[in-house]
Amino acid sequence: MDSTGATRRARTGQRRAASLRQSLSRNWLGYLLVAPLMLWLAGTILYPLISAIRISFLDVGIIGTGGSFVGFENYSKILNSDKFWSALGRSLLWVVSNSVIQTVVAFATALILKQRFRGQGLARVWVILSWIVPTVVVVIIWRWLLGTSGGIVNYALVALGIVSEPVGFFGSGTGAYATVVLINSWRWFPLMAVILLAGMQGIPEDLYEAASVDGASAGMRFRHITFPSLQPVLFVMGLVGTLWSFNVFDVIWLFTRGGPSSATTTVPVFIYDTAFNSYRLSRSAAASVIVGVILLIFAALFIRFMMPPDEKEA
Amino acid sequence: MRSPASRLGFLLLIVVLVVAGIGPVAAQDPVEVMIWHMEQPTYRVERLQELIDEFNAANPGIVVSQEPQNWGEIYTKAPAAVAAGNAPEILFAIPDFTPIIRAVGAVQPVEDFVAQMDEAHTFFPAALESYSYDEHVWAVPMWNMAQSLWYRKSVFEAAGIEPPTTWDEWLAAAEALTTDGQYGIGLPANRNLYTDQTTYDFMINAGASEIYNEDGTLRFDNPATVAAYDFYKQLYQYSPADSSSWAWGEAEACFASRTCAMVLQFTVISTYETQAEGDAEDLGVIAIPHSDAVEESGTISYVNAAMILTDDPAKQEAAYAFLSFLLEPENYGRFLNMEPGLYLPVTEDGSTAESYWQDPTVVKYQSQIETMLENSRNGMLFGFTGGHTFPTIAQISAQNLLAQTLQSVVIEGVDPAEAVAAGQEAMIEAIE
Repeated sequence: MDSTGATRRARTGQRRAASLRQSLSRNWLGYLLVAPLMLWLAGTILYPLISAIRISFLDVGIIGTGGSFVGFENYSKILNSDKFWSALGRSLLWVVSNSVIQTVVAFATALILKQRFRGQGLARVWVILSWIVPTVVVVIIWRWLLGTSGGIVNYALVALGIVSEPVGFFGSGTGAYATVVLINSWRWFPLMAVILLAGMQGIPEDLYEAASVDGASAGMRFRHITFPSLQPVLFVMGLVGTLWSFNVFDVIWLFTRGGPSSATTTVPVFIYDTAFNSYRLSRSAAASVIVGVILLIFAALFIRFMMPPDEKEA
Repeated sequence: MRSPASRLGFLLLIVVLVVAGIGPVAAQDPVEVMIWHMEQPTYRVERLQELIDEFNAANPGIVVSQEPQNWGEIYTKAPAAVAAGNAPEILFAIPDFTPIIRAVGAVQPVEDFVAQMDEAHTFFPAALESYSYDEHVWAVPMWNMAQSLWYRKSVFEAAGIEPPTTWDEWLAAAEALTTDGQYGIGLPANRNLYTDQTTYDFMINAGASEIYNEDGTLRFDNPATVAAYDFYKQLYQYSPADSSSWAWGEAEACFASRTCAMVLQFTVISTYETQAEGDAEDLGVIAIPHSDAVEESGTISYVNAAMILTDDPAKQEAAYAFLSFLLEPENYGRFLNMEPGLYLPVTEDGSTAESYWQDPTVVKYQSQIETMLENSRNGMLFGFTGGHTFPTIAQISAQNLLAQTLQSVVIEGVDPAEAVAAGQEAMIEAIE
């Protein structure tokens, strides 16, 4: 062994230990205050996570029953399941379509709400209503609106001569999928719009004034000032929003329960269905672990390649 | 202890000791019995609460309470509750739900109590069949339900047609009754229990009531089943476009609002009475039409029962006491009439009880209820037919595989023969 190298490593270790001691003695109150939260998170996230990984190697069927060790059999079955890959494909389409619709509508909303006009305050509160309303209420309202017997949307479509007979929005796979995507986007875009609006308000007005003096059009000001200035906000929204969107379960389940004919069975619905309707808890746990790994890889790649340069330096 | 004060002190000590001794007995907590049932409508919950309140008042040592659940979630929630140690003492069930709860080891055999009740009230033999297997009885029968075809007589008269008895007549009626603003029939195509039920109605009336062979292998994939799915698809074209997302409530609402001319339901009496015209003379109910393959109509029939999930003897006794109270003829009719016309009696003395037949709604719709009772005599349930019981039907039912197969036929447009073959494969995978 190289004694010089060993000495250097020992010194580095000593320096780190000293630094850690110094940090602990300086910040002990902060660590003490954050400790209960860390313990709470460990209990509520780590324990179920470890439990899911353990169950994924057993053959548990109904929750509450026992199971014996089966190695990677559940993983093999999931990875060879057409239903799983179809659900993953639907989830990817779900994330992309929701992201595109929500981003476009949220940007437009934020730009409008940034303008000065009478009733601006009311408009800013009003626009967020759809996000405040509980999911179950949203589902019931839209079911009524879209129903074929007495639904106002169908009544309007027929009355205006757009269709000759009421449309079954959930009557076909494609129709159900598109309808749920649109309603979910309607529900979530206000949050995105408010965050974008907050980001826009942090952009100095001087920049816009200088650009206007230089003859920049509204489009150019958006492209060269607004959009680049919002990069940190968009980065966080892109990461968190994608993960949230991927994991959406409630709206889909309440509207369609994954149907008709599995057309809206995304990965969370598939996992729930496998665990609690097919009574294959271990297989469902294996699917959860696989999806968890996929999302972790996505998050790592997103941070590696999409993080704005300023954030990296920070 | 010579002085009076000493004697008084001694007496007081005795009194304190006696009171302290009997204190724990007097303050003993009452036995609590929680009931989970899936009868969510407010008026059903209120009627059951009336009976619970009467029972609690008459039995100071017992406190019964109810917590309504949802059929859509109970297959998930109940096993989880058992696993978490939060299971109710009484859980209402249908035959294909019981094996799921048995699998988690919670259901207690009840043959001794059932024998007592049989002696007192005489259960109809069919009521016990679907809960008697593996040498035990697993639930106490409480009521029966059977589907029928509901319509308005005036609507048929206006169209100049007679109520159908065969499939050809049924299809012709649905076509004739489909007019501007009215669908000929409301048929579900959701992946849920309601669609399982209506699909099985078609299977029974096509001669495909047996899903299993006698040896327990599946025989779902057969020409009669294919004919049933094919005919369902033909009728479905006269159903509202959003009926692929229906449960029972939407079908009832469609009928009440006159948007659907016919529906397959256990009953529509309550909604017809409260949300529609309530004209008993105009409300028609008949047996579900049948194909040429069978001689008479049949229907799906569910005996609902109460499972006991506690192994605590005191709680078991309390639960039995409450169920016994419900089955008493003076209470049983009021219990069944928490939804008049929906719940049919499963005991002989219950079927003639004044408390059942004297309910104002039952009096008003007596002829319809008598028809329902008549229809229920040809009732059957998938997995519990031909004198056999196949508990693996629980997996098929929990995944709504009859409904899933139907969706592939009526929504995806898959050929019925192919869909039924795929349905059988899915069933084999489900029970493997």
